[in-house]
Amino acid sequence: MDNLAELLHGFTIAVTVPHLVLMAVGVLLGILVGVLPGLGAPNGVSLLLPLTFGMQPVSAIILLSSMYWGALFGGSVTSILFNIPGEPSSVATTFDGYPMARDGRPTTALATAFGSAAIGALIGVILITFLASWVAQVALAFGPAEYFAVYFLAFASFVGMGGAAPIKTVVALAIGFAIAAIGIDTVSGSVRLTMGVDELVKGVSFVVAVMGLFGIGELLVAVEEEFHARAVSSKIDWREVFRAIGRLPQHGVALLRSAAIGCWMGITPGGPTAASFMSYGIARRFSRRGRYFGTGEVEGIISPETADHAAGTSALLPMLSLGIPGSATAAVMMGGLMIWGLNPGPMLFVDQKDFVWGLIASMYVGNIVAVALVLLTVPVFAALMRIPFVVIAPLIVIICVVGAYSVSNSYLDVVMMLGFGVIGYLFKKLFYPLAPLVLAIVIGDKAEDAFRQSMLMSKGSLGIFFANKLVTCLIVAGIALLLLPLVLQLAKLWRKPASPATEPTAQEKVII
Amino acid sequence: MISRRALELATAFLTGSFGVTVVISSLDNGIGWSSAGVEAGTFPFLTGIIIVLGSLYNLARGVLPAATLANVPVAITPIELRRLAGLFVPAAIFVAAIPLAGMYVASSLYVFAVLAIPRHQSVPRALAMAAATALALYVVFERMFQVSLPHGALAAALGF
Repeated sequence: MDNLAELLHGFTIAVTVPHLVLMAVGVLLGILVGVLPGLGAPNGVSLLLPLTFGMQPVSAIILLSSMYWGALFGGSVTSILFNIPGEPSSVATTFDGYPMARDGRPTTALATAFGSAAIGALIGVILITFLASWVAQVALAFGPAEYFAVYFLAFASFVGMGGAAPIKTVVALAIGFAIAAIGIDTVSGSVRLTMGVDELVKGVSFVVAVMGLFGIGELLVAVEEEFHARAVSSKIDWREVFRAIGRLPQHGVALLRSAAIGCWMGITPGGPTAASFMSYGIARRFSRRGRYFGTGEVEGIISPETADHAAGTSALLPMLSLGIPGSATAAVMMGGLMIWGLNPGPMLFVDQKDFVWGLIASMYVGNIVAVALVLLTVPVFAALMRIPFVVIAPLIVIICVVGAYSVSNSYLDVVMMLGFGVIGYLFKKLFYPLAPLVLAIVIGDKAEDAFRQSMLMSKGSLGIFFANKLVTCLIVAGIALLLLPLVLQLAKLWRKPASPATEPTAQEKVII
Repeated sequence: MISRRALELATAFLTGSFGVTVVISSLDNGIGWSSAGVEAGTFPFLTGIIIVLGSLYNLARGVLPAATLANVPVAITPIELRRLAGLFVPAAIFVAAIPLAGMYVASSLYVFAVLAIPRHQSVPRALAMAAATALALYVVFERMFQVSLPHGALAAALGF
C-alpha cells in the first residue's frame, strides 16, 4: 500500500500544468523523431539532453521519457501507413499493419496498434509501480561484488538472448567497454587509451556515439533503398477508432502474452526490438489464425505493438532500481541522470522519492497523452513523410553534427561522430547489435569500478564472486546465459551432424 | 559491387585492429595486481583481448562459406554504393569545412550544394533553404540556448 500512497504523491507532481505541457512537447518531438528515418528515440533523447541541464531533474526526465513514448508511437505510424518502420522496434508492425491499411482499413490498423501499445505500456508501468521499489530495497544491501554480478548478468543476457550472433554481440560489448575506458581512470587517476590524442583525456561521450551510431548510421542504411513514400489514406475515422479499441478485449490472451514477453525482454536487456519480433513470432505460431499472418491480421498488429511498448516501459525498471538500463534509450536517459547529478540505482528510492514517483506517475499520464496526441496528429506527420528524403537527409546530418558539437564544444567530437556513423552503418548492415555497445559505453565505468572494488575487498581473489548465495546465483546465471548460444549450437550439431551451417537469427531472417 | 563476405572481413579487421590498439595502449597503464589493487590497464587489456579474439572468430566466419553468407552474397550493389557516397561524401566535406568556414557558413553551403547541384530543388529554393538552416541554427543555439557554435577561421580572420 506504501507504493500506492507514493504513487498518489507522484501524481501531484506529474499532473501540473508545466509538466503536462512538457509531456505534450516531449510526445510531439518524440513522434517527430519516430516518424523521421535516421532519427530515433536514442538520438532524439540525446539531442534533447543538453537542453535539460537547467531544468529540475523530475521535469527533465518527464520531458525525455515522454519523448521516448512519442517515438515508440511515431515509429508505428510510418510502419502502418508507409510500410517504412520509423524505428527498428516497429519493423514487426509492418508485417500486418501495412497490409491492413492498404486494404482500406488504415484507421482500424492505427487504432488497434495504439490501443494495444497503450495496454502494453500500462502493464509495464504497473509492473514498475509494484516491483521497482521492492527491487531497489533488495539492491540496497548490494556490495560491489553483487553489483558487478548484476552488470555481468545484464551483459550476458545480451549475448544469450539478444537475438544477434553471439560473438558479434560480445565484440560490440567489448568495444563499448574499451570506449568507456578512454580518458581519466576514476580509480587511479591515470590517463588511459588516449593513443596520443590529448583531447581524448575527457573521454568519449555516449551522446557522440549515439548520434553517429543511430543517426548517421541509420541514415546511411535508409539512403540505400530508394525512398518511395506511397501512403495509403491517412484520414482518421473517429467512430472506427472507438470500435477498434472496443474490439481489443476479444484478443485478451494475445495482449497478455505479448505484454508478458515485452516486460521480460524490457527488464532483461533484450530491448523493444527483440521483444516485438519474438512476440510476433510466438503469436504466429499459437494464434488460431496464424496462417493468415502477414495479410492484415489484427493479432499480427497487437502482438508486436503490445510487446514493443511493454518492453520500452519496463526497460526503465532496472534503470531506476539497479542503475542498469534495459534498452539503448534507457541507457541514454541514465546518462542524463548522471549528468543531472543523480545516482541511478536503489538510493534513488530513498533520496529522490519525488523524482522516482513523479516519473512513474508521469508514465501513466504520458502514455494517455501520447495516444491522444498521436491520433490527433497522424495526418500532420503523414504529410511530413511526403517531403523528399533528399531534403530531410542533410538536415538530419546537420542536427547530428551540431548535437555532437554541443556536448562539449569540441570539433573532435564531430569527427568522431562521423566515424561512429560509419561503424553504425557497418554494424547494422552485418547485424552487429548496437544497443549493447551503447549500454557498455554508459555503464562500462561503473561495471569496472564494481569489479575493482570487489577485488580490493577480497585482496585479489575471484572467490568474492562466490562468497554468498546471491552473488553466486547471479554469476552462475550469467555464465549460463553466456554459454547458452554455444550449447544450442552443439545440440543442433549433435542432432544433425550433416548440416553445420547456422540458422540466421530471427531479425536477420526477416530482413533477408 | 561489394560482397557480404568482403564487408564482413573488413569490419572484423576494423574491430580487430581497434582491439590490438586497445591492448597495446593499455600496457602503458600496467596490467595485473599492484598494492593499490587492480591496475588501471587491466580492464581495458582484457576487453582488448576479447575484441581481438571475437574479431578473429568473425574473420574466420567471413572466410569460410556459411549458409547465411551464401544467401546474401551481395551486400551493397553499385547503385546503393552511389547513393551511399552521395550522402556520405558531402557530409564528410561539410564536417571537414567546419574549422575553416564555421558551422553557419558550412551548413548552409552544404544544404545548398546537396539540393541544387543534383537538381533536386531549383536554385532559388535551395538558396532559401540554406539561408533558413543557418538562421534556425543561429536562433536556436546562439540565442535560445546560449551555445556558441564554431564561427570558423575565416570569420575570425575577418574579425567576427
